[in-house]
Amino acid sequence: MSVLVLLLAGPLQSWGSSARFARRTTGQAPSKSGVLGLLAAAQGRDRTADPSDLAQLRFGVRVDQRGTRIRDYQTAHRPDTGEAMPVSERFYLADAVFVAGAEGDDDLIGELDRALREPAYLPYLGRRSCPPSRPVALGLRRETTLEAVLRREEWHAAEWYQRRHRNEPEVTLDCFLDAAEGDREVDSVRDLPLSFDPSHRRYALRGVTRRGVAVPNPKADPPDHDPMSALEGD
Amino acid sequence: MYLTRFRLNTARMGARKLLSSPQRMHAAVLAGFPELTSASSGEGRVLWRVDRGAKAKAFLYVVSQERPDYTHLVEQAGWPTLEGGWETSDYTPFLEKLTAGDVWAFRLTANPVHKVRTCDGQEDTKTTPHITQHHQAEWLLQRQEKAGFRVVRKAAGDPHPDGEGERELLVHDQRRLEFRKKRGDKSSVSLSAVTFDGRLEVTDPETLRRTLIHGLGRAKAYGCGLMTLAPSESWSR
Repeated sequence: MSVLVLLLAGPLQSWGSSARFARRTTGQAPSKSGVLGLLAAAQGRDRTADPSDLAQLRFGVRVDQRGTRIRDYQTAHRPDTGEAMPVSERFYLADAVFVAGAEGDDDLIGELDRALREPAYLPYLGRRSCPPSRPVALGLRRETTLEAVLRREEWHAAEWYQRRHRNEPEVTLDCFLDAAEGDREVDSVRDLPLSFDPSHRRYALRGVTRRGVAVPNPKADPPDHDPMSALEGD
Repeated sequence: MYLTRFRLNTARMGARKLLSSPQRMHAAVLAGFPELTSASSGEGRVLWRVDRGAKAKAFLYVVSQERPDYTHLVEQAGWPTLEGGWETSDYTPFLEKLTAGDVWAFRLTANPVHKVRTCDGQEDTKTTPHITQHHQAEWLLQRQEKAGFRVVRKAAGDPHPDGEGERELLVHDQRRLEFRKKRGDKSSVSLSAVTFDGRLEVTDPETLRRTLIHGLGRAKAYGCGLMTLAPSESWSR
């Protein structure tokens, strides 16, 4: 088994799993359908192509920098007729950073890694207007599990954010993982893609468990260290 | 052996000059020993390290065989009107007291590197710094047994069920040092230093004594390799 690791960071991101009609909400973390859609696009798949092989990947995301939810009140007119479009409310996460991982068999993961480095369609963070600010591909990790990768990956939050937590040598980050059997407190989210076909998008329910992982803070103040106190005065 | 602590006055130009160049700091540290002919004479060499804490506090630590005189440093980069200026303690009793099983908090600034073959099949290797915290921690863990200590494992109950990140070890303050050896030199020296903080258990007192006196890793002339120990209760997370 290998794990593909992605860094999702940008000025704006938007990951709707239940957004419909004029109110386009965003979840607090990337959705599985959003990230799989990004991977399928990188591979150059058509929207009508079957995403079931991707849907089988075990998916998890870690919240490295929470970001702020902001609301945009959007009015638009058709450029040709001047006719007003429905007024819509759009929500975004500003300044958020996530690490996402997809675990699957070596061949598929290797293929996706290559696709991410030379994407057929450029990746975006949930909505076409949200470009990533750092390279999305963090590479693949071989012979490991999704949990181990999310635990081991260093903290990718911005430096100013890490410095703001300088009193914490270790920070606990939320992880949202595909639920496994035996997990307690499983939430259901409808973001497991069955079809990305624009004429009939379909999503199935997915069980999600939340876990905290502790990662070291590289910008933490070091503990006090006084070697002289160990010596007997001379 | 002696352990010396010198507090640098970071408001002074002299201190800033020293802090900005490991080459100058090295010269200033050695200038405290009038009898010393080269950096590695006799038993043990002069090791030094700069600890930069919060609030512009910077301490220079020196381990040496002779007792240093840092009057010149006080005049350049210290607080000349304050009494003392630096403190030097006899290190030998402490070193002799080390026993297997002791637990100490430690700090080490080092230059963790590995050798990389630049092309397949090529004989030459290139010395390359470790970049990620994970590899840097691994670098230290690979050397611990040979250096006479073992980094303490975290107590059970910490949220680290598998083999990763379960040691009481903190890797921080990675910095890249780049400087010229002499004024006008075309090529510059470039190295990567990182500071380890953690708790260790003494496994072999004799070897650890050697590590504390002779240093660990490369770039010892440039403020790397000096490990110091402090009471383990001071290590809090």
